[in-house]
Parts: sequence; structure tokens; C-alpha cells
Amino acid sequence: MKHALILGSLALALMSGSALADTAGKKIALSNNYAGNSWRQAMLQSWDKVTKEAVAAGVVAAADPFTTAENQATEQAAQIQNLILQGYDAIVVNAASPTAINGAVKEACDAGIIVVSFDGIVDEPCAWRIAVDFAAMGKSEVDYLKTALPNGGKLLEIRGLAGVFVDDEISKGIHAGVAENPQFEIVGSVHGDWAQDVAQKAVAGILPSLPADIVGVVTQGGDGYGAAQAFAAAGRPTPVIIMGNRQDELAWWKEQKDANGYQTMSVSIAPGVSTLAFWVAQQILDGKEVPKDLIVPFLRIDQDNLEANLAATPTGGVANVEYSQADAIAVIDGK
Amino acid sequence: MTALRFVFAKPWLWSFVAAFGTWLVTILFTGGASTLGLSQAALTFAAFSIIVGLGQMFVVTLGPGNVDLSIPATMTLAGTVALKVMDTQDGAILLGLLVTLGVGIGIGIANYALIKLLRIPPIIATLSSSFIVQSIAIATNRGIRIKPPAVLAEFSIASFLGVPNVAWLALVISVFAWVLLEKGLFGRWVSAIGQNMRAARLAGIPVDGVRFLTYMLCAVLAAIAGFLLSCFSGGAALNMGSEYLLTSIAVVVIGGTAVAGGFANVPGIWGASLFLFLVVSMLNTYGASAGVRMVLTGVIIIAVIIAASRKAVR
Repeated sequence: MKHALILGSLALALMSGSALADTAGKKIALSNNYAGNSWRQAMLQSWDKVTKEAVAAGVVAAADPFTTAENQATEQAAQIQNLILQGYDAIVVNAASPTAINGAVKEACDAGIIVVSFDGIVDEPCAWRIAVDFAAMGKSEVDYLKTALPNGGKLLEIRGLAGVFVDDEISKGIHAGVAENPQFEIVGSVHGDWAQDVAQKAVAGILPSLPADIVGVVTQGGDGYGAAQAFAAAGRPTPVIIMGNRQDELAWWKEQKDANGYQTMSVSIAPGVSTLAFWVAQQILDGKEVPKDLIVPFLRIDQDNLEANLAATPTGGVANVEYSQADAIAVIDGK
Repeated sequence: MTALRFVFAKPWLWSFVAAFGTWLVTILFTGGASTLGLSQAALTFAAFSIIVGLGQMFVVTLGPGNVDLSIPATMTLAGTVALKVMDTQDGAILLGLLVTLGVGIGIGIANYALIKLLRIPPIIATLSSSFIVQSIAIATNRGIRIKPPAVLAEFSIASFLGVPNVAWLALVISVFAWVLLEKGLFGRWVSAIGQNMRAARLAGIPVDGVRFLTYMLCAVLAAIAGFLLSCFSGGAALNMGSEYLLTSIAVVVIGGTAVAGGFANVPGIWGASLFLFLVVSMLNTYGASAGVRMVLTGVIIIAVIIAASRKAVR
């Protein structure tokens, strides 16, 4: 992460020659629909950190974050309309809905404003999308289990928030992986709402009814520690629980690794993806040709780089990567 | 007929019938092997709903329009601030508890100040105060999870005589609430205000004082639940209270307390809290998909409420 930062500032220094000329007077806004969990807080902090440096260096004139209170599409649409009136040149959006704010996004495009959506993307064609291949993320969990548990076995699936696109995608990927690997079987599925306490409650509720030989738990992030707690409370042996990059999950994993050689992996989206969206918006303003659909890599932590990642993650926070202008250019060029 | 009358007179019975039914169906799935595990899990997680549900019950009993929507934010703030103050030190547990109570009392005062001084309807007042409270929680710790002190973490997941400690705590609080409601003057006053506020005022009941104390009681109970939940689940999270908004209202209604106010019911809160946990466990156990699960949960809850309310308030 430090590495990326140094690279970033280096790139900044190198790029400022060309970038300064075109975007120094431009204003970028962040329209964010929700701030009520640690991932979103980390996302906002990354935005704050990276854009402040960029503004100080004169790359852009302003990069102001705005968050709606209620996580409602109507509210976010109104917010975007305000941002249009305030004269921003680009709006970076983490959307409450992939479709419901399309009208406002179209208005922004028509007003000549660049709209870049990320994480919660919008399907309005005039906007750019920085998407995560969530299905691939789900499938990568099963791919890992295939090597960790060559004999296969019974799995418990913890899903996210029912009815949300991301939940469906990750689950689809997991089920596709299981279909390819018939040695695995999903014997139970609960919704943990990506929250530790909800996951713990849901797992504790289904666990008594599940067979004793659960070998793995496939998750969506933010629910691994709760699952571990529930298994411990039920007095069951701990299966391979896929983690989701939260610090308490990593700390628990490290504890188990030191105590009994516990092995697993951890995968999630880095909250710093907001900074990637920022740089992409800056590049578009700078006149660069950018494809409308970009894919952001997910952040994966394995047995051997657990310690390094744990050390770099603030206590109680989420493992993170902040992107630099150079990273953004690499993603745009498809490298 | 007398047996039937007994059933008619006890609205809380239906929540227990429902809880027992779902419990039975769930353990049948494994032929009874899951009996102990499921029962303990149900008691553990029901405990949190019971504590917040009791507070909401007193508020709802105050009459139409009275409801506390700031419960989730209060839980989050209490858990966040208390864990930050304790900073994993066992020696600071008492301080953490005092802070928790302080948060509850403070929010209770703020809520009633909005309702009384600014004449805002409770539903709006507590909703708007919850935004402020949630923002304070975010500002306090920016979503960073601090672990609870080891002693507290252990206490909150341990059991005594096979019953989870948190359930014992919920029992103590429930007995206290039952005495307050059924045996004390305060409970009579709350019910009287809920039945007819004007009549209560004319009868010389200190209406404002009672309403004030009720909102404070609710906030304090929510704060305690938030404190316990954050110790239990290994740290406070910014969204940890969110599911308790609907739960707190649902357990009140399913438990046989009159939504229109005036009639409260403590045992029903237990039946309803156990039922709400068990119904989700049951549907998960039988592998119902999310859509089916939500529809069935809704249908079952409606059925129980109809069964309970038909026989209840006469």
C-alpha cells in the first residue's frame, strides 16, 4: 500500500506537467449514497486523503464528497441535480440503484458533465462504469477451496443483503464454482447482510440443524468473523471460513494461524476504489479516451501475505488500497 | 369454554404457541438432534430483541403516535462510545456501563425535548434525532471496531445453568419491567395515558413526567442492548442496530401489546422475540430461498398478529 502511495505521488509529480494544463481548473464531486458502515467510512477517508493531495498539487480545483442521509435513490437523484447546478465538471457516483438515478445521470451528461460510477454502478449508457466482477470473486472462493480441501465436502453459504445486485452476482459465482466441482455441496444458505452481528445470528440459527462435517464457509465479506464466533459458540470445529478483508477477520485468522496453522484466504473490494474512480474522472476531463466499462481488480489476501496486510490495516478497519493516477491509466489501458 | 376464555384473555399465549411451533418444526428437521443448540441460540439472540422490545413496549403503550425510531442509532452510539471508553481494559468496565447509561439518558432527554418543547410528533422527533445520534456515532469512531474487554466478551457469550447469560439479563430486566408495569404506579399511569391522555391528565396523573420517563427508559434499554450486543459480537459496528428498528416494533405487536396503546404485555415480548428468531432459523433450515423466506416470514407474522389481536383487546 505504501508502495502504491509512493508510486502515486511520483506519478503525480511526473504527470503534473501534462495534467495541470487541462484539469487544474476542473471541479469533481463525489455523490455517495451511504456512509453507515466501516467499508464506506474507509472509502470516504481514502477519497479525502487522495483528493486533498491532488487538489494541493493543483491537479484539480476541487474534489468534494457528498453523502445522502437515507440511502434512497430519489434523494441521490436530487443531490445529483444540485451538483449539476453547482457547476461541477465531473461527478463520481456510488449509486443507490443501478437504474433509479438514470434520469439524473442523463441530465448531468446532457449538461456536459462527466459521470463516472463505481461500486454501485449505473446502467445509463452515457456514464462510465468501474465495476467489480463479483461473480468471478465468488468463483475464486470455490477455486481456493478446491486446492485447500481436495476431498471436497459440505459448505455453508453466507449471502449478503437479499435483493441487492451484488449479493446475486457473488452467489451466482459461488454456485457456478460449486457446479463445476461436484465434490462440494452447499448444504445451507443464510443471509448475513454483510454485517458481523447479523451473520453471527443467522449462522447460529441454522448451525444446530446442519450436519457436523461442514468443511467450508463461503462468504461475501464482513461476515467471516461472525461465522467463526457462531461455530465456536456451538462448540463445533472451525471449518475453512473465507474472510472478507476486515481487520477483525484478519486478526482472528492470524490468531488461529499462529495457534494451529489455520489456513484460509480473504477477498473483497478495496474501499479505495473511490480513488480509482476519481483518477478515471480526471483522465476523462484531461481528454483521454476511456472505455465506458472498466473492471477493477479485487483485493485478495493469502496465507503468505496475511501478516503484511494485517499490519497495514488500521485496527477495526478494512484492508485497503488507494489508487494513483498511474494505476488509473493502467486500468484504462487494460493492463 | 373457560379454557377458551383463558386463551382469549391472554394475548401473549399466541406468540408462545407460534414460537413453540416453529421450534418444534425446526428440530424435527434433524430428528431432535439440534434441540439444545437451537434453544440456546434462540435464547441468546432473542435476549437482545427482548431488551429493546420492552422499551418500545412502554413507549407504544403511551398511545397512538408514540413510537421510538431512534433505537438503532442509540444502540450503535452506546456500543461505539462504551467500547471506545473501555478500550479493551477490564478495569474500565464500570466506566463503560456508566457511559452506556449516560448515552441512553441523554438520548431520552433529547427525544422528549424535541417532542415536548418543539411539539414535534414522536415518530418524526425520534427519527430526526436518530440521524443526529447516528452521525455522532460515525464521528466518534469512523466505523473502526474496537474489541470489548476480555471479561465482558467472555461473560456475554457464556452460559449459566445451560441458559445464556444475556438471556438471564433479559429475564432480570423483564421481571423489573413486569413489576413496573403490573405492580407499580408508573405502569398504571403509562397505561392510563395510553387509554385516554385527557382523562389521565384530569385524573391528576403527571402526564409529561411519565411520558418523559418512558422515552428515557426506552433509550436506556436500547443503550444497554447496544452495549451487550457489541460485547457479544466482538465490537460495535455502525450498522449493528439497523435490524432492531422493525424487530422492536414487531415483538411489541406480535407479543399482544395493543398498537393503539393502553395495554402492555411483558411475557408476549419473550414469545415474540423467540418466535422471530426461530421463524428465520426454521426457513433457513428448510432451505427456503430469500424471496420465499421473506414472504413466509411476512405471512406467518400477519397470521400470528391476527390470531393474537382477535382474541386480545376486548
